[in-house]
Amino acid sequence: MKKVFLLLVLMVGIYDPALAVEDNYSFADPAQRVKFLELTAVLRCPMCQNQNIADSDAMIAHDMRRKVYSLLKEGKSKEEVIAYMKDRYGDFVYYKPPVTIATVWLWALPVIFIVLIMFFVIYRRSATPEQDTAAKLEQAEAMLKQDDS
Amino acid sequence: MNKKLVLFLIPLVLFAFLVVFLFQGLFSDPRQLDSQADGKPVPAFSLPDLMDPSKTYDQNVFKGDVTILNVWGVWCVTCAVEMPFLTQLRQEQNVHFVGLYFDQDLDPDFGTKTLSRVQEEVTDMLSRYGNPYRFNIFDVYRDTSLDLGVTGAPEHFLIDSKGVIRMHHIGDINARVWKSKIAPLYQQLLAEKATAEQHEKGTEE
Repeated sequence: MKKVFLLLVLMVGIYDPALAVEDNYSFADPAQRVKFLELTAVLRCPMCQNQNIADSDAMIAHDMRRKVYSLLKEGKSKEEVIAYMKDRYGDFVYYKPPVTIATVWLWALPVIFIVLIMFFVIYRRSATPEQDTAAKLEQAEAMLKQDDS
Repeated sequence: MNKKLVLFLIPLVLFAFLVVFLFQGLFSDPRQLDSQADGKPVPAFSLPDLMDPSKTYDQNVFKGDVTILNVWGVWCVTCAVEMPFLTQLRQEQNVHFVGLYFDQDLDPDFGTKTLSRVQEEVTDMLSRYGNPYRFNIFDVYRDTSLDLGVTGAPEHFLIDSKGVIRMHHIGDINARVWKSKIAPLYQQLLAEKATAEQHEKGTEE
């Protein structure tokens, strides 16, 4: 029983997503194969929107994989393939959004938030203690006077 | 302003923004993508007629008529649902529908379906639900669908008489969609076509 369990663990261990690509695309150049796997991981399926085209079984994902394959075979670079897909399916198809007026807030908002909070904290810190120190000084003065007498 | 009032208003305003944002989300359709085809001419292609493969069409086939290009297949249930309405539109308003047919055989290079089998299925479906199409273009390798940015079926492209795509509608055309979304632009394109023709006549004389 233990051995069976160990075997199972080992089998899970050697599972490699690269082996899971079911379409039989053959590449003469292993570098091209790496490119293909990378591209199908970062391109998004327009049909099942939370899957990349490597994962999705929708027909459109099959077609897009086939297209990526043929474009790579033609010697196109990764950027060219991404541009080709963006040309047809929009920025949506690539998981990394471009910086535009609409998307720049994704980066700007957290920074603005942090800066605002920092200002707020500094303002609070510098504003409140004055009364405190004045009161404390008074107290200290009183204590000193007491000591003197 | 009163400091307490400000402290009270900040969360209230934030909450109001959140409510508006989430309320919008209730009615937004994530499948409604910005089409890249809008305003562009139909991409170049050369594809056979579905029923008569000896005939081939290219992108110039759309010039001279306001066309609704309907992407469909026999395997698509929604296409069957909209077909009677499309047929009615053709009969009543003489809408110029052209089909872009593609089959679902996952790998066209190793597809097992023969053309005659596909034709049989198409004829069967059109005789059952009505035939809205002037002709059907057979997108054998689904390349043209990819060029058009098609994500599935049914999808529709409203093409003006110069062969430029003016609207990409994902999903079916029913009476409501026709009236609110497609008919206004369709009428506008017909009017554009009429003025263009008049203009041409004017220059000829």
